[in-house]
This record gives sequence, structure tokens and C-alpha cells, in this order.
Amino acid sequence: MSKLPNKRALPSREAGQFKELLNLYESRQLKKGLKTADLILKKFPEHGETLCMKGLVLVHMGRREEGIDLVKKGVRLDLTSHIVWHVFGLIQKGEKNYEEALKSYTQALRFEKENINILRDAASLQTQLRLYDALVETRHTLLRLRPNLRQHWVALSIAHYLNGNTKDAKAVLESYLSTLKNVPPHDVEQSETLLFYITLLEELGEHSEALSVLDSNSRSRAIVDRTAVSETRARLLTKLGTPEAEEAWHTLLERNSDCYDYYAGYLSNKGHTLTEPSPAALQIVSDLAAEFPRAKAPKRLSLNLSTGDEFKARAEAYIVTALVKGIPSLFSDLKSLYADPAKKDAIEEIVERLREHYKKETAAPSGSEEPTTYLWTLYLLAQHYSSLGKHQKALELLEEALEHTPTLPELHTFKGRVLKRAGDYLGAARCVNDARVLDGQDRFLNTKTGKYLLRAGMVKEASNVLGLFTKKDASSPGADLEDMQSMLYLLEEARAHEKNGHPNLALKKYMAVKKIYDEIEDDQYDFHGYCLRKFTLNAYVRMLKWEDNIRGQASYVTAALAASKIFVAAHDNPNLVKSLSSTSEELTDAAKKAKKKAKKAAVKAVEEKKNAPTAGATHDDKGIEPQSNKDDDPDGLKLLGAPDVLDQAAKVLAPLTTVAAGSVGVWCAVYDVAVRRGKVLQAVSALGKAKGVDAESPEVHVRIVDLKLREAKLAEAAKENVKEIFVEGVKKLYPGDVGVETFNSQYLQRGEGRAESVLACARVLVLLGAPQEEVDNAVFELLAGERGLGVKDAVKALEFLRSVKSAREEDFRAACDARFELSTAFKSKEEQAVIREGVMTRGPNGGKDEAVTP
Amino acid sequence: MILGCSLYHQDDLAGMQSANLQNLPENYTMKFWMLHALSWPQVSFVAEDPKGRIVGYVLAKIEDPDDENEPIRGHVNSISVLRSYRRLGLANKLMLLSQEAMRSVYKAQHVSLHVRKSNKAALGLYRDSLGFEVVKVEQKYYADGEDAYSMQLNLKD
Repeated sequence: MSKLPNKRALPSREAGQFKELLNLYESRQLKKGLKTADLILKKFPEHGETLCMKGLVLVHMGRREEGIDLVKKGVRLDLTSHIVWHVFGLIQKGEKNYEEALKSYTQALRFEKENINILRDAASLQTQLRLYDALVETRHTLLRLRPNLRQHWVALSIAHYLNGNTKDAKAVLESYLSTLKNVPPHDVEQSETLLFYITLLEELGEHSEALSVLDSNSRSRAIVDRTAVSETRARLLTKLGTPEAEEAWHTLLERNSDCYDYYAGYLSNKGHTLTEPSPAALQIVSDLAAEFPRAKAPKRLSLNLSTGDEFKARAEAYIVTALVKGIPSLFSDLKSLYADPAKKDAIEEIVERLREHYKKETAAPSGSEEPTTYLWTLYLLAQHYSSLGKHQKALELLEEALEHTPTLPELHTFKGRVLKRAGDYLGAARCVNDARVLDGQDRFLNTKTGKYLLRAGMVKEASNVLGLFTKKDASSPGADLEDMQSMLYLLEEARAHEKNGHPNLALKKYMAVKKIYDEIEDDQYDFHGYCLRKFTLNAYVRMLKWEDNIRGQASYVTAALAASKIFVAAHDNPNLVKSLSSTSEELTDAAKKAKKKAKKAAVKAVEEKKNAPTAGATHDDKGIEPQSNKDDDPDGLKLLGAPDVLDQAAKVLAPLTTVAAGSVGVWCAVYDVAVRRGKVLQAVSALGKAKGVDAESPEVHVRIVDLKLREAKLAEAAKENVKEIFVEGVKKLYPGDVGVETFNSQYLQRGEGRAESVLACARVLVLLGAPQEEVDNAVFELLAGERGLGVKDAVKALEFLRSVKSAREEDFRAACDARFELSTAFKSKEEQAVIREGVMTRGPNGGKDEAVTP
Repeated sequence: MILGCSLYHQDDLAGMQSANLQNLPENYTMKFWMLHALSWPQVSFVAEDPKGRIVGYVLAKIEDPDDENEPIRGHVNSISVLRSYRRLGLANKLMLLSQEAMRSVYKAQHVSLHVRKSNKAALGLYRDSLGFEVVKVEQKYYADGEDAYSMQLNLKD
């Protein structure tokens, strides 16, 4: 099996056939390609390049395993052929295995340094992997090979920029721009290139130069995006501190008098903010209000900037206008003013007075006001009181409004919100459903209902409701929402599963969120080439920055932390999976039938997907990417029962340490996993970081004790060089010789009765093996304490008592039920079941909603 | 109202996707949203609440002309405002901003869109406020089988 290059050369007939094979592959004539490959292989069965091409064709025909085996064989038989490595790289890229693909491409380039296709693909891979040094080199080579292609210049400039070398990026772009000839007028690509050039100048601090380039190209109409010109102009002039800046911001306001960023720029240029009250700022904004009479922004801003009687007068005018118009978002709009207690009180006084006035006018036959104005006033007032925790009062106002107009959905949805805040999740779901029924065409109300049902733990009912708007051919409403990447749905259902005692099902949903983020990360790949062809350069670099930080978004953080918690729980409790599988077996006949049906539909869907061609496929071309496999773990029990749960947890947490480093929750989760994996230094470091963010956090406190208790064992198992550092680290977190019980009571004292501190101390008592009675008493302090207890904390406390199998759980539940009159969260299971029955009854007139009865 | 109708950016896409999923049955995966942000960034806009959350958006594109002599056309793919932020004229503002950008950046001469036959509110906005005209009816255009009006507006120069 010689690997000498002369084994690669084919006699003229077969060489011609090989060329034909390449063409047939390019045009995806797969059957013909296969035949041609076989012709060559008959004579030359060990021709690596042909074996690879045949393998590639087979993959496209859906014979993936067979195809990949052939490709690998072909590579082994001709290790110095650029074709074999190129093919191998294509396969790996199709599997989203970017690192390996780049290795293959790099190999290919060793044997054919100047192959444009391979270089281009390598550049995309390097960008995807953020290997910017290598990217610059590749882009240099491409430019050298084809300096007449405009995008090669721009690509090199971008590569320098991404690599942190803005100076070189600028130099390249300047060379490029100076050599351009015959640029057509009003060319959007040229316009975007110039705007990118200006971005470079701005980042280098060359503001005057940037401005000059901007102005001359704007005048010549080479830059066609007038909004970008105006915004950049205003920004640059502000940075340069010239008097023209004011006019520039004003120009922007003339174009769009509702953009708060423009007002911020205009005011800041004159030394004011949008939020600091000041007579001068107020005057400016009032002038703008007069100049732009139809704009709402200046009127609203004047409420920020005025105080006292001036504020009261303006606030009243603003509120009256909105009430007469019937604007549902008025409260959300005003809420930020409540940070100032004087303004909050003033608004309350105004609205109460207006209420009296509208009530009178509405009742009188010759009244001057519309009845709807009174309605919206009640609505506003209800929102006001609920935001202050006065839920009973809010409900009374809503009742009055509902009597007046039972058909306004907003009244029902807000009533639901108030009940949710008061801890009646079942009643809340009922109200929101009442709203939904009033406008069946509105998906917003449908989505809200689904969310509220999930909050109440009514997973089945939520699925039925959401199913009214999901695709009919999906295997289930949830499957469609997952396909369409609905984070809202996945997180809410996961949470519901957790509350219902199904952490396995919850874990599936949390991991689905992770998968979506993986998808979004993959999505950028095609744009590495696309944006350079389109010259949308500013947008492109902004997209890359965004991608670098997506895992810091709230939905990923929530999902990752929750998933990690569940993985850790599975590690701590080896019987967890068993206990969950036994409950999932107890399905009713109807549920079994439904499960079978869903399974059938799922299999059918996957079959159809398999047989359906993938994107860009023709002639039975299945494409190069692997087909999605049937989900062999729909209940998440396999995932939960796997031996590597801690590794899985570490994997989902990993990106958070860079993009969410300011979160206590993140570092605590990292600690939880590290300490169990025996990675003592990582554990200590993580807990130290958590403490650095919030030293008094209850989560930190519990874990410091946890670490202290584990210290001896961990130190013993640690290697010598690690042990010392570890012990030092623990000392930093738990200084002094105070005993753990004392440490705990000291924390309790510092907590001043706050619910989270009390519960943290109770959790520590459990860690310390304290007697059950002591733990119970600690929790019951919440009821006895002078500090108010909120519903959410009471629910947490009850869940805690349940988790430690307290004998006094029932007592606590009953006490909370009595204390929180509006809440149903503390009713007994039987009582809740009865209430649940009534949730889906249609509207105030009762009668089940057939469309959604499970 | 505390809202800006700012130009949209990549950072806004998650919020736009979420608003779209809550409000409309015609939904798209993230790649579709990215395609718009990276092809025609100038013609889509968002409205935000005081906390910077997306409460409304217009997602638009410029059509690829079949041949060079065809006039350039813009197309509104999707527009939606959260129910809780209606009555503020946001949809109108978003459409006007988008149309102006299509005209000035791309020299588009027409804008087109599809709307459900039964959607009176939307028809009021497009036909009465903005001046769109019905060009034809596309039968069973929507996934649930409803017909669509294909509408067009001529952009003055």
C-alpha cells in the first residue's frame, strides 16, 4: 500500500472519468456519479481520491455510514492528497465538528497551498472558531492570489479588525478604497464599506478624520444610509465637543421624534440627563414638545425632569390624555416615576381625584366624559395599588370595572396578574383564560394563558391551549414550539415539571434550551462568507460580538443553572431515577393511549423528515448533514441516570464563567459541580468569586459551611501540592476558629429576619445534622417574626419543609393558608384539585371550553 | 409612552423573535431573523419599553430583482406589536420608518405585504393610514387556509 504520489495519477481514460465524477458531484447527479466512481475503482480499487468521492456521493444519497467509511479508507490510502482531506473536511463540517474540519482543511492546504475553495472554507472555519491569527493569514493568501476580487480586500480588513488590529484593518481598507475605479453611484455595498471604514476611524479615536470622511461621502451621496450618517455625525460631533453637535442631534429628532436615544444625545450634549430633574432640562424638553407636537416622548420626558407642582400639572395632563384615549400601557409607562415617593403619591392623588370625577360624569345622564375613560381609570388605579402590594384593593377596583365592561380582556388579564402576585396561581390562570376566550384570534392572549396554566402546574391544559396556534402537523404543540425556538414555552414548562415533581421532564426542556443556543451558534457559519459578499460589514462584526455573548442571555443562564441543579441532585441521590420511573409507569389507560399516539406521530414525523430532502437538495440529494435522530429518551430518564451527570453539568455551565461572571448563582452552581467532582481548587475559586459578588448571599453562606464540612475528606484525597493551596483557600472563605453552629447563628443574626437568611440557616442546620425539631423551629420563625413574609418565600419555606420530610409541614401549610387569604398555593391537595377543575370553564358564565378540554 | 423606535440590531433579534412567537402564528427560526439583519439592516425597526425589551417590530427586506430593469421593491415580512402596547400608533410609526429607509437607502419604488382578509385592524392601518392598495387575493396563503390580500404601496421619490 504505497502512498507515493504516482499512485494517485490515473491513465488518461480514468483521469477523464475522475474529472467527470467531480462534475457529476458538483451538479449532484448522484446515481451517475456513483456509476462513474465504480468504473474507476474496478480498475484502481485503491485510488484514494475516487474512494473519497464515492463516499461523499453515498453520504449525499443517505448511505451515511457506508459513505463515511469509504472516505476514511480513501484518506488512509492517499494521505498527501488535498482532495481526500478536502472531502473529509466537508463531512466533518457537515457534522458541525468545526475543530476537526479545520484540521482536515489545514492538511489539505499543506498539499495544495493555493486552492481558493479550500482557503475560503478554512477562513470560515477559522472565524467560527475565533482563530483570528490564522484567519488573517488565510485572508492574506486569498488576497495575494486574487487581488482583483473586492471582497478579498474587505475580508482581510475585517480579519485584522477581529484580530484586534484596527490599525492594519484601516490601512488595508484605505488601500482598497483608493484603488477603486468606476464605482456606480448610489451603491449600497460601497456605502456600507465606507460606514465600516468610519467605524474603524472612530475606534482609533480619529474623530476628525472620521467626520471628514463621513461628510464628504455623504455629500457625494456615496453613503446612502441617511439615518446612519445622521447618527454617526451626531456621535462624532459630540465626541469632538463642537457646537454643531446640537444641530446634529436636532436633525435626528426631526427624522424620528420618538427615539429616546436621540433625546438622550441632545440633552447630554447640553449637560443634562433624561432622568435628573432640572428647570433648564425641562425647558429644553418643553421647547421640543412644542416643536414636535405629535411626539409623545418629550411630554413623557418632562415628567422625569419636573418636580413639585410643575410635575403635578404635567402629570395630570399626560394621564388624562392617555385615559381618554384608552392606552393600556399607561401604568408601565408611569411606573419608573415611582422611584420618587413624592411623585408616586402625587400620581395616586391625581388618579383618585380623576376617578371621582369620571365616576360622577359617567353616572350623570348628561355627563361630559366617556364611560370608557372611567373604565381605564379604574384599570390604572388597580395596577397602581397592586404594584404597592395592595392586592385586595386592586381586586375591588377590577370587580367594579368588570361589572361595567366584562368584555374587556385587559381587565381579566390584569386580574389574573394580581391573583398571581397574591399567590393564587389557579385563579390567575382562570382569569387569563377568561380573557383568552373573549378574543380567540389573538395569539398574545393564548400565549399568556399557556404561560399562566404552566405557572399553575397544569401542563396538559397548557398544551391544549397552546395547540390552538401551533402547526397541526407537528407531533405535539410542545414539539412545534421547541422547533420554533420558544424559550418562553420551554422554560415555563420546565419549571412546571419541576414543581410537579418530574425533574427528568424538566431536564429535557432545559437541555432543549441549550440545544437552541447550540443551533444559534451554528447559524452564524454561513454568514462568514455571505456578509463579505454582501458587504454588510458593520452588521456582521456586530453579529459576531453578539454571538460571543449569547450564553450570557437570561434564558440560557436560567436553563443552565436549573439543569445543573438537577444533574447534581441526580448525583446526590442515586435512587432518583428509579423513583421517577416507577411513577411514570402509573399511567392511566387514556394517558397510555395518548402516549402511544404521540409516539406514532413522532416516528412518522422523523420518517418523513428522513425521506424529505434537506435544504438545497435535488435529485434525491439528502445533503451532507446528518439527519436528526429519533429521540430515544423522551422522558429524560436516560439523561438523568447517566454516569456522567456531573460532566454534563460542567459542560452547560462552562460558558457562563466568562459571559455571566457577575452572577452569584453561576459561581454557586460551578462550586456545586466542582466540589463533587473533587476539583477542589476550582471549587474554592468559584465560591470565592461568588462571595466576591455578594458576600452575604444565602447561597454563599450555605456553601461555605458545606465546604467546611467537606474540607477534611477533600484535603485528604488531594495531591500534596494542591492540598496546601486548598486549605489556604478554605481559610479565606471561613476565617477564624468559630464553630459551624456559631458561624450559622451569626449569619442568622446579620440577616435580621429576612426570609432568605432564615431559610439558609435552616438548610445549614440540616447539613449539620441538627435535630428535626430545631430545623422546624427555625422555619417557623418566619411566621412569628415581625418582618413581613411574602407569598413566594412562604412557598419556598413550605417546599423546604417538604424536602426534609418535616412532621410539621402540615401545620406550616395551614398557617400560611390562613395568613395569605387570597392565595390558593397553600390549600390542601384535595382543595386544589377541586379549584383546578374550574380553571378552564369559559368566562364568567361557566360552561367548559370544549376546544381545550383534555 | 416610553419607547424608542430605534434602528434594529443583532442584539434585538431575540426580543423580536419572542414578540413574534407571542403574537403571530407565522414564526421563523433565528437564522431567518439573522438573514434580515445581515442583508438589509437599514429597513427593519423595533420599539422598546423603558427596560429595553422589544414590544414591537417590523421585519422587512428588499426583493432581489429578476432583471436589472425592474423597479426595486421592498417587502414587509412581518410586523407585530405586543397587545399590551397597542393604541400608541407604534405599528404606523414602524411602517413609516421602514418605508422611508427602503426609499432612501435602496431607492425602492414599491413596498408589498400580505395581510389576512379578516384582519380589519391591519387593513385599516395599511389601506387607510398608509395608502396601500390591494393588488390581488392569494388563496389559502396562510397555513390555516385563510386567504391573504397582497397589497402594494408606491413610494414617492
